[in-house]
Amino acid sequence: RVSSDGKPPKFQPPPKPVIIDRKTQKEESRFLSPEFIPPRGRKDPLKYYIERKDMIQRRKVFNIPEFYVGHILAVTTANPLASDKCSRFVGICIQRGGTGLGATFVLRNVIEDQGVEICYELYSPRIQAIEVLKLEKRLDENLMYLRDALPEYSTVDVNMKPVPRMDHEEIPVNKVQVRMKPKPWSKRWERPKYNIKGIKFELPEHKMQAAQKWSQPWLEFDMLREYDTSKIEEKIRKELREELGK
Amino acid sequence: MMPIWTKSGEKHAVTLLKVQDCHVLRYVSKEESGGKTAKLLVGGKNVSPFSKPESAHEIFREAGVPRKQKVTTFNVTDDAIIKPGTPLYAAHFRPGQFVDVTAKTIGKGFQGVMKRWGFKGQPASHGQTKTHRRPGAISTNQAAKVYRGKKMPGKMGNIYRTSFGLKVWRINTKHDIIYVNGSVPGHTNCLVKVRDSKLPTYKDCNKNPPFPTFFADGDEELPEDLFDEEIFQFTDPSVTFA
Repeated sequence: RVSSDGKPPKFQPPPKPVIIDRKTQKEESRFLSPEFIPPRGRKDPLKYYIERKDMIQRRKVFNIPEFYVGHILAVTTANPLASDKCSRFVGICIQRGGTGLGATFVLRNVIEDQGVEICYELYSPRIQAIEVLKLEKRLDENLMYLRDALPEYSTVDVNMKPVPRMDHEEIPVNKVQVRMKPKPWSKRWERPKYNIKGIKFELPEHKMQAAQKWSQPWLEFDMLREYDTSKIEEKIRKELREELGK
Repeated sequence: MMPIWTKSGEKHAVTLLKVQDCHVLRYVSKEESGGKTAKLLVGGKNVSPFSKPESAHEIFREAGVPRKQKVTTFNVTDDAIIKPGTPLYAAHFRPGQFVDVTAKTIGKGFQGVMKRWGFKGQPASHGQTKTHRRPGAISTNQAAKVYRGKKMPGKMGNIYRTSFGLKVWRINTKHDIIYVNGSVPGHTNCLVKVRDSKLPTYKDCNKNPPFPTFFADGDEELPEDLFDEEIFQFTDPSVTFA
């Protein structure tokens, strides 16, 4: 470049790099608790809005952590019949159901060779604390097949210490293939309707193929069953961020 | 319907009823109606005026109100008469009150005797020929006739039914919503008539209700949510048993 005075041009330092931490921003906004999403139906959206206001109010006072099916949780509830007036239960979350204030989650554990499942309501005032002891997702969203699996897969140590987890890390997926007890099972898990990927089926080939007879491959193309929640989810996320971010 | 928790940790199911554009339409005096008390015609839920003839719009024009989907009568004592044209709000009811709710039940169409009246039918096997859900015998030999009102198949549902003695747990004055205990006849978003309970156990439970009704332009400033004393409000910390 030709400079004005004949001296060498002034050194321009390169522009500072702007670090946009996309990972952190994404992690915060990508999780929405499934009970906030209203089911498809003919109810007035005002009802869901009012229910959400109550849910947000409860979340302001009591912290409900982010958890998925497959996590190991410890729940302390108020119990009038216990000596301490509170009881603690540790278990794997096998199912999350319900929408709105009636949302529930089922914890399973095997205590002294007896399988125990307890269904808790997320917004019940009797729950004193929910702690996430270990974060791990599984291959399926419904782990009801653990009832027919060998008890070692459902046992969780009651005095387990919470496993430390780095924030902004992806939640690890446990790809364990569970071994089952001999048939009969409570449900025919090999059928394609349940779409279970987390079981190691030791059934003979002809039985697995016979189970495929009940497959309904047209279901994924059925347009009447489509329920696109992206716009509703964005609205709800914005609402939550405004209310809980304060 | 929604769950609601009390301060002792018990859960109750609650139905949400919305008071949508309710106005008093006309006052009918005792002599005019021929009954024991005066009547007030009340209409709810605005609807387009173009689907009915002009003659049907007279009542609404006199009251100065858009056309309503449903017009009901309330039997009212002389000291509770309201001027036609006043709007009615959810704050007319207070938490702790008991209420009767009337609505048309869900229509099930033509139904057989087992679903309509709860008959037991016949066994599925052991030689039954073409008889599994039939009523069986309809009368005795000596009667020599079938009595009037005999339970038989027919159209089921779509008739007015009332649930009595439902407790009002909570009132939202901003959106005009009444939280009523238990279930209520009718499908979702159907029109429903809410009255003070006529049951003798709840005769004296209503202390200081807004009489004759709650006027929005009056001096009272109500908070957005009115709760019953026993409800667990979500602003409180979790319930503990001492």
